[in-house]
Amino acid sequence: MVSETETVNENEERKLKFGLFLGCNITFNRPDVEQAMRKIFPALGVELDDLAGQSCCPTWGTMPSIDDVGWCAVAARNLCLGEEKGIDLMTACNTCYASLNEARHKMLKNPEIMNSVNEILAKIGRKYEGKAKCRHVTWVLYKDIGLEKLRESIKYTLDGLTIAVQPGCHFLWPSEVYPDREKDPFNPVVLRELCEALGAEAPYYTKLIDCCGIGALRSTDPGKSFALAKDKLECIKEELDADLIVAGCCSCMIQFDDVQDKLRKEGKINFSIPVLHYVQLLAICMGFDPQQVAGICVTPRDEIIKRILEGGKR
Amino acid sequence: MELAEEGVPPVINLTELAEKEKEEFEEKVSELIIEFGAENLMACMQCGACASICPLARTGFEWYNKKLIKAILVGMREELLDDMTPWACVACNRCTEICPRNVTPFEVMLAMRRLMVEDFALPTLTIEGLRSLYEHGHAVYMTGREARKKVGLPEKPPTTDSDEKALQELKTILKNTKLAELGLIPME
Repeated sequence: MVSETETVNENEERKLKFGLFLGCNITFNRPDVEQAMRKIFPALGVELDDLAGQSCCPTWGTMPSIDDVGWCAVAARNLCLGEEKGIDLMTACNTCYASLNEARHKMLKNPEIMNSVNEILAKIGRKYEGKAKCRHVTWVLYKDIGLEKLRESIKYTLDGLTIAVQPGCHFLWPSEVYPDREKDPFNPVVLRELCEALGAEAPYYTKLIDCCGIGALRSTDPGKSFALAKDKLECIKEELDADLIVAGCCSCMIQFDDVQDKLRKEGKINFSIPVLHYVQLLAICMGFDPQQVAGICVTPRDEIIKRILEGGKR
Repeated sequence: MELAEEGVPPVINLTELAEKEKEEFEEKVSELIIEFGAENLMACMQCGACASICPLARTGFEWYNKKLIKAILVGMREELLDDMTPWACVACNRCTEICPRNVTPFEVMLAMRRLMVEDFALPTLTIEGLRSLYEHGHAVYMTGREARKKVGLPEKPPTTDSDEKALQELKTILKNTKLAELGLIPME
């Protein structure tokens, strides 16, 4: 016989829980993004696990440049930390998202790689079964939490603001390896809809899917990297005259925040558009302390934050 | 005279050796690239779809995806081993998404890096990243913690940075990979 309480429990929504995968850039360069995630998710009813002992994903210039098995072994150890607790990982960094999921894809597709990885993991008493994956914060907010709940959760709205979105390369391609996919990976809409849910306009612009130019490109040839970023920034200025750039990836966010300052100093651009990660924007709209959730930047954010807090009270 | 003939090794003709190496390289470079992960290399028909959307092609790097594949197929040794283009690839995978023949040009870029690594033709920053990954568990690592303090977080993140056992686990993993065989970084 089924008791009433049991029936109620069955109907209750299963509490969402993710392992918060930090990566390197968020941990050391932009911990305000980490703080934003630590604030918004519990407030939205999502439990976070620290994944104690996590490491670098590993990023492209390290183990992926050596061989598949080494790449997958480091990724698998990180994925194990979630799998052992029965949870998926969640990240706000596109590189971590891509490296972990590409590694998982390789292991699932190729049993030889999976076996070699598990032989290595056995030496530290772990085993990866291929269950745990890495989710992207953008998708978790869009799919698992939903636009309606986001609308209800904010204290400040972005009415009248125009946002240029920057989903970032590793949010989109190669679509085959990701747990969540845009309908058309060359015309992404998820980040635009997330911004619109907060009251802003987030229109299409010609260079919306262009690369920001950070990472290996920037470390190999900064001049070429800045030129690529400048093209995109000028498009954002000319086509949208955006109040704000909102990225789904912490690396893209760092690049546009940082590069504008350099380009201005070199006299190559004469404008300044504040840049935020989406989780930071959401955290500000939810009423968390901007110093904690968006306190680290090169391109000033004070004015836009003031405008949001003064202008958009619901 | 007899002594000289028996005891002195024959003179090595360096030009001949270099040419022999070059020929061998030309013969086997495609095989190596396939072995290093670009399984569908031979399916490339040089249509150029990958080049049309590659950030490296757009910003003026010499050996972007399509040209790199061509160079591999014809075995251009110096051009391939001396150019740093593969190390500039942002791994965006636009090429993988758009390739009509499933060549996965990004895997070719990555395989080229793996081939260059065997020849120690890699950027200093890459070696630093690997060393940092081994020493700290983070490829990007900073000792300063002002940023974390400023936003109200503990100075030590819950990563290998604050967990000696976890760092040892990672080191054990790395010691059992090809990285250790290559000897690119000191691994205590």
